[in-house]
Amino acid sequence: MLTSIHWNTLRALMNRIIPPDDFPDAWEAGVGDYLARQFEGDLGAQVETYRFGLEALEAEAQAVAGKGFTALDPSTQDTILERLEAGQVLTTWPAKPTYFFHMVIGHVMEGYYSDPGNGGNRDAIAWRMIGFTGRE
Amino acid sequence: MTRYDVIMVGAGAGGGVAAGVLAEAGKRVLLLERGRELGFRPEGRDHLRHQRFSRHGHNAGPEIEGNPRVAVDLDGQARVVRPHEDGYQNNAAVVGGGTRVYGGQAWRFLPQDFRMASIYGIPAGSSLADWPIRYEDVAPYYERAEWQIGVAGDGIASARHWPRHTGYPMPPLKVNKQGQALRAGAAKLGWETVPIPALINTMPYNDRPACIQCQYCVGFPCPVDAKNGTRNTFIARALATGRCDLVSEAMVCTIDTEPSAHVSGVSYYDRDGELQRVSAAVVICAGGAIETARLLLNSASPQHPHGLGNQHDQVGRHLQGHYYPAAVGLMAEPVYDGVGPGISTATVQFNHGNGGLIGGAMLADEFIELPVIFWARQLPPDLPGWGQAHKQFMRENYRRVMRVTGPVQEIPSPDARVTIDAAVHDRWGIPVARLSGATHPETVRTAAFMFERAREWLQASGAIRVWGQPPGLYLSGGQHQAGTCRMGDDPHTSVVNQWGQVHGHDNLFVTDGSVHVTNGGFNPVLTILALSLRTAEHIAQTW
Repeated sequence: MLTSIHWNTLRALMNRIIPPDDFPDAWEAGVGDYLARQFEGDLGAQVETYRFGLEALEAEAQAVAGKGFTALDPSTQDTILERLEAGQVLTTWPAKPTYFFHMVIGHVMEGYYSDPGNGGNRDAIAWRMIGFTGRE
Repeated sequence: MTRYDVIMVGAGAGGGVAAGVLAEAGKRVLLLERGRELGFRPEGRDHLRHQRFSRHGHNAGPEIEGNPRVAVDLDGQARVVRPHEDGYQNNAAVVGGGTRVYGGQAWRFLPQDFRMASIYGIPAGSSLADWPIRYEDVAPYYERAEWQIGVAGDGIASARHWPRHTGYPMPPLKVNKQGQALRAGAAKLGWETVPIPALINTMPYNDRPACIQCQYCVGFPCPVDAKNGTRNTFIARALATGRCDLVSEAMVCTIDTEPSAHVSGVSYYDRDGELQRVSAAVVICAGGAIETARLLLNSASPQHPHGLGNQHDQVGRHLQGHYYPAAVGLMAEPVYDGVGPGISTATVQFNHGNGGLIGGAMLADEFIELPVIFWARQLPPDLPGWGQAHKQFMRENYRRVMRVTGPVQEIPSPDARVTIDAAVHDRWGIPVARLSGATHPETVRTAAFMFERAREWLQASGAIRVWGQPPGLYLSGGQHQAGTCRMGDDPHTSVVNQWGQVHGHDNLFVTDGSVHVTNGGFNPVLTILALSLRTAEHIAQTW
């Protein structure tokens, strides 16, 4: 299971993947709810990968910036994620950091842009944002 | 033991039509379907689990667990795959088969598509061949499929390419904004367009209402039952006779034979896992090109050690689907207007006559793309995968992007094939299908050419930027799977004769995409429906 510490990191991470503007960020749009639901179902086998990956991200942030990931300002968080995406890490990761990051990106996008019935995309806000007119 | 006149294995396009024809002809019919009945439920519009986008599962089966296949990649690496994973080549497993959730494009194959080897010659390494029948043999059945199942289209535009005696029973789908843009683009290029014929009601027909132009079509059952498949036409007609028993969640494991080549019936596992044996005068295989081949191969007996119809090692070969080279265009103005299903406009200008290439493809516009599919498949390759720039692109461009693609006629390879993997079993203990090989390289060449035509069309239609890339070599099959029990006069190079009758077995037939010698540069379902009508009438008259 993920602890509240893991969830804090995950919340910070997903909000850099889909940041806020005049439309909500990932967390605000319910992507956390989407993931919580999926961890009980189709993504049950990925919970461990999340746990280790989120812990590794915090350790990486400590090594790069001297603070945990959640404590950093958004632009420093982005810098760390850009390095992650390029495979540049200072710490030892349990799995390839690019694999972890791309997996999280995929799940966050699913939660944000798929149907509210899956637990995310609260009140179909993402659909209003892009102009998809389908009803749920 | 219960005895029927005819048993159909599979209640999809082919099996559904045959059930209707034979029950109405007075036969006692058993229609077996491994999948369930799929009704429409509003909550069934799950964007992550449907036939078009199987990110975490399916709406139309088969069940994720207990139905594995083995996929062998081009390096010979074999892996066990589940139904929603890459390489499985899934098609819907529900009552109605793919016709329950398809987009319903209702194309005839062109006259040339039945004579590919004569027109183009046979490239080295391919198994390209002519059909044993011609367009003229199928045309009357195309027409009846169009009227009895219900196709909306433009008969006059169609008649410029296909010899035909009648129009369509319903007017074509409404042309939405993307269709208008593409028609204008085609006019600039001097290309002719054809309204896409579709198995969708554009007016009340067959006692069911017209399409409500919603934004969900392909991949889902229709909320108002305006999408025409076998479930709401031929299967309903079969059941109405009182002579057809439809049994769902029935997994056929073998076709049973007498010591002679005569088929005696089938054995299947019912929904409680009990093995049932039923006998019949005639057995028809209609499980799709992969499952039909698997069933014939799994039905080996001392008299038929290599499986039924397989004395010349033909069953399971020439597996093909379609290559879909897709170009994506960013338009200056929004082209999304929300008018579903979204498709309206195609060109068949490049199906043949492309210089040194073999065959070609129909090119068409797209169904309304769900936002999560847009994210997964349509973004430009240089867009950052996350962050504000990504979100901004989604916000600004979802309504400005459209995609042009079409089914490239595959040049068959005998090495693209279905065999049996004796080491891997499904939940009933039946050995599973093993899929290996790839299409012939000529298919890749044609696909690259068609990609350029798709790009050209988008540019002429006002795209300010176009992206995408032509596909490389791989094995295709999927929803358009075909070719594994090809039709022919010579038992050494084919599995069934022109009536779908398996060589060497007088009472065993095939009525699905398996029998296609080649698969046209079109969605194949109307051809499956028409050939099933032809085969079923032949059976009604001769048995």
